[in-house]
Amino acid sequence: MTVKIRFFARFRELFGADIMTDVGAGTMFTSLITTIAKKNPEGYTAIFDEKGSFHEFVILMKNGKRIEITDAAKTQVMDGDEIAVFPPVAGG
Amino acid sequence: MFSERERERYKRQMMLFGDEGQERLKKAHIFVAGAGGLGSPASLYLAVAGVGTITVIDRDVVDQTNLNRQILHFDRDVGRKKTASAKEKLQEINPDITVNAIDIKIDETNAADLLGEADGIVDAMDNYPTRYLLNEVAIAKEIPLFHGGIHGFYGQATTIIPGTTPCLKCIFPKSPPKEVFPVVGVTAGFIGTIQANEVIKFLLGIGELLTGRLLIWDGMQAHAEEICVERNPACEACGGMAKKTPAGKKK
Repeated sequence: MTVKIRFFARFRELFGADIMTDVGAGTMFTSLITTIAKKNPEGYTAIFDEKGSFHEFVILMKNGKRIEITDAAKTQVMDGDEIAVFPPVAGG
Repeated sequence: MFSERERERYKRQMMLFGDEGQERLKKAHIFVAGAGGLGSPASLYLAVAGVGTITVIDRDVVDQTNLNRQILHFDRDVGRKKTASAKEKLQEINPDITVNAIDIKIDETNAADLLGEADGIVDAMDNYPTRYLLNEVAIAKEIPLFHGGIHGFYGQATTIIPGTTPCLKCIFPKSPPKEVFPVVGVTAGFIGTIQANEVIKFLLGIGELLTGRLLIWDGMQAHAEEICVERNPACEACGGMAKKTPAGKKK
């Protein structure tokens, strides 16, 4: 099954805009993003802390609905899902 | 009532919303928190639109590194207080409005007083801790917060109507780390102008506000998109507020 991952702002600079990826049945949100992020060390540290958890400010969405960081590890991704990962943009 | 000069100045927009609309703008008081990248275009467009009272707050001095984006400030202003520079430019571009400039750092002890009886707040800050303070004051006073943020070629904006839309804490519960952010002036111009446009629509009670939607601008792709955002019932800032019927129209 195929999932679309969309990065925004600084994360987009590091990973590009959209990534289409094939995932196995039962893949969880956190493990999917971890696998993608590990291909890019700078990108990984932008999204995850040293313990491998999402930085607390990272915003996660699945099909337009917010996923809490604490729920992401137990949230399954399904075929056709669109996932968004982005930081709050802070500059003014 | 408008002077002859005002009638001429606003002629092309009064074609859109008439004397009544222009009067609404004239009676309004908008608080622009920050006279930097976002505050510059936002306050300039509010000034030329004829928003009657604009209060700009900033505690910084103009630095050479500000000049690629902070279009209120000119090369000759380097070293001057941003508030002095901002007041001068806004008053020159429209002498028929009142411009207040307050040189102070916004904190929890002064935020509510500084905001006074403003009709809305333009969030032109460069950090989340102060944005959260503005968010709290907006909730307490039940006035809108026009949020914007920029980084590089990326920007985001949303209009927060307390009790109706998600507040800033619902959307961004945790502050990102502080950084010296890269940015091009046009990103600030794009987002700051959207904020000013939202203020004008809100004051006039026309159009569709950018409520319940986070607009995300990618200048590299020249692409804007929206993400739906929802209230968090457990939000520490606005969770206790009763849901209101959609507003956006001024009394």
